[in-house]
Amino acid sequence: MNAREDTLLSVEDLRVSFSTEQGRTEVLRGVSYRLQKGKVLAVVGESGCGKTVQALSLLNLLPAGGEIKSGRILFKGKDILSLSPQQLRKVRGAEIGMIFQDPMTSLNPIRCVGKQIVETILAHKNCSKLQAKARAVRLLRKVGIEKPRKRLREYPFQFSGGQRQRIMIAMALCLHPDLLIADEPTTALDVTIQAQILKLIKTLQKQSGMATVFITHNLAIVADIADDVLVLYAGYCVEQAPAEELFAQPLHPYTKGLLHSLVSLKHKAEHLPAIEGYPPAPGMPQEGCPFAPRCPHVQDRCRVQLPPLFERNGRQVRCWLQENA
Amino acid sequence: MWRYILRRLLLLPLVALGVTFLLFLLTQRLSPEMRASLYIKDPRQMGALEEVIQKYGLRDNVFKQYGRWLSSALQGDLGYSHSANMPVARAIKEYLPATVQLAVATILLVVFFGVWFGAVSAVKKDKWQDVCARLLSVGGFSLPIFVLGLLLLMFFYGKLGWFPPGGYSVATDAVIHSPSFHTYTGFLLIDSLLNGNMRVFGDVLRHLVLPAVTLCIGSFALMVRVMRSSMLEELGKDYVRTARAKGLPERTVVYRHAGKNAVIPVITLAGIQFIRLLGGTVIVETIFDYPGIGRFGVTAAQQLDIAGIMGFSLMVAVLFVLGNLFSDILYTAVDPRIKLNE
Repeated sequence: MNAREDTLLSVEDLRVSFSTEQGRTEVLRGVSYRLQKGKVLAVVGESGCGKTVQALSLLNLLPAGGEIKSGRILFKGKDILSLSPQQLRKVRGAEIGMIFQDPMTSLNPIRCVGKQIVETILAHKNCSKLQAKARAVRLLRKVGIEKPRKRLREYPFQFSGGQRQRIMIAMALCLHPDLLIADEPTTALDVTIQAQILKLIKTLQKQSGMATVFITHNLAIVADIADDVLVLYAGYCVEQAPAEELFAQPLHPYTKGLLHSLVSLKHKAEHLPAIEGYPPAPGMPQEGCPFAPRCPHVQDRCRVQLPPLFERNGRQVRCWLQENA
Repeated sequence: MWRYILRRLLLLPLVALGVTFLLFLLTQRLSPEMRASLYIKDPRQMGALEEVIQKYGLRDNVFKQYGRWLSSALQGDLGYSHSANMPVARAIKEYLPATVQLAVATILLVVFFGVWFGAVSAVKKDKWQDVCARLLSVGGFSLPIFVLGLLLLMFFYGKLGWFPPGGYSVATDAVIHSPSFHTYTGFLLIDSLLNGNMRVFGDVLRHLVLPAVTLCIGSFALMVRVMRSSMLEELGKDYVRTARAKGLPERTVVYRHAGKNAVIPVITLAGIQFIRLLGGTVIVETIFDYPGIGRFGVTAAQQLDIAGIMGFSLMVAVLFVLGNLFSDILYTAVDPRIKLNE
């Protein structure tokens, strides 16, 4: 089997812009990647770097004002962006499931959770309400909700944050999608609950063999779950590599900075090393490498010329230092 | 829930007591002679003023007088309304059902069109549907109700003869006062159905159309606004994105998910508007010669019919509490997060 046949999702040169008061602002500036069946791709970066926008684009679900300006998203050979609303609806929920960041607000507060799961099943499957309900019960049990039959009739406010995320997971997985998009699924939860939810996602992902795009800013999670890593910075892909290689030898100064701040947590440091400065605000006019103002290895050229993505042993890095490496 | 309802109902006498006592205090601003003169129809008998004052104890202290009014009110005697020429209790029984019918019909129209226009307005924000809905509602809002009422009356009665003024026709009057027609509730729409008399039902409904439509056009602008902004807010929420991500049809996402959440503030507004309608339909009742309670209240006030004013205010206070209670109960039906025990 060659790599091409195995590709489930391929994103090519995705560019997304938002309309703001200052005109249109590019938030995603040409991101490309490929995801193999059954693999987990982690998308990491600081807040505002385009992670969530990238994820929402996969379902063509950008909020008002957002627009995909160019690029292609091929999912099982279908171009998501050229599907009719009807065809798109069939992909959403059935072939691609999605979990969101905040389980507190992502469920309809005045609809009982059973209905919310059942309606998802019924929207895609030709089965009776009773069958759908039975399926919902099995799903809830699978994600670790006790007394699922009784709890189906309850409303989101009657569940804890962790339980709500479990329900979101059950809902995303109820039609055995080939791809799961998890947008910071543990960020809004307590640390102990985070670990449980992460473990649950990992287990279910292994069992069903579905591919996953896992968005996070937490590198510790990445090490735990990902096969490949895509590092975004200011809407650019700055580094892309298999997880093990990336952790063993980060190439981009930004990735190094991220890893450095993670590793230092293990050794008690006098003060926490962090990357100085802030990422550029979206919409700021910019020349050269977006990381240049914060980069410890910055050269004159970095400030005027945007580095291309260099290929290095199957990895990709957007940094001038790699030009002759 | 039952405990909550009980507690609210226990509040009812308190509100009624407060309202009527305050009003009673106000009437004491008139001198005993002035109040006594209200009992006298014939100017030639003005000499009997002192007699009247003695007879009704108009010089007693306020609490004593109020106590007298209260004790007879508790026995169902609210006094005699000289403006309506009948006992106050009978006047309320006679006129209130017609106004309640009108208010219910109006609020149903207001909620139906308000929610519909508001929702469409939000979904089609800044498109022509939105502009139309907003223009229409603001137009209705800014047109004085007596102008609108007269215009409708001129066209639909004067020109087309479809919807006559009044509460019912002469033929219906004969039927409902005949011994074969049983009065169960006082609400003609319900009674006519219970009597199986569809002709009366149709006739009453026909007389209800113009006043209800007039009131609706005058007050549904606010409903459209509230529904529109509430719907816009809901459509931007995370759970709507989730519903779309699940692959639900857009109609389901908009109406079942966002719409049901958006309707919650509408209930509050509908409750307030309904209560306002019960006491404040007087202009419309006058224009359409509709036999409602609003006209009774205003006439009583104009003619200084103290018993009538007291009775009318008592009724409004009771309806106010009941109306609020009803909209509270309605909340629990829509929003499971609201529990009425606390």
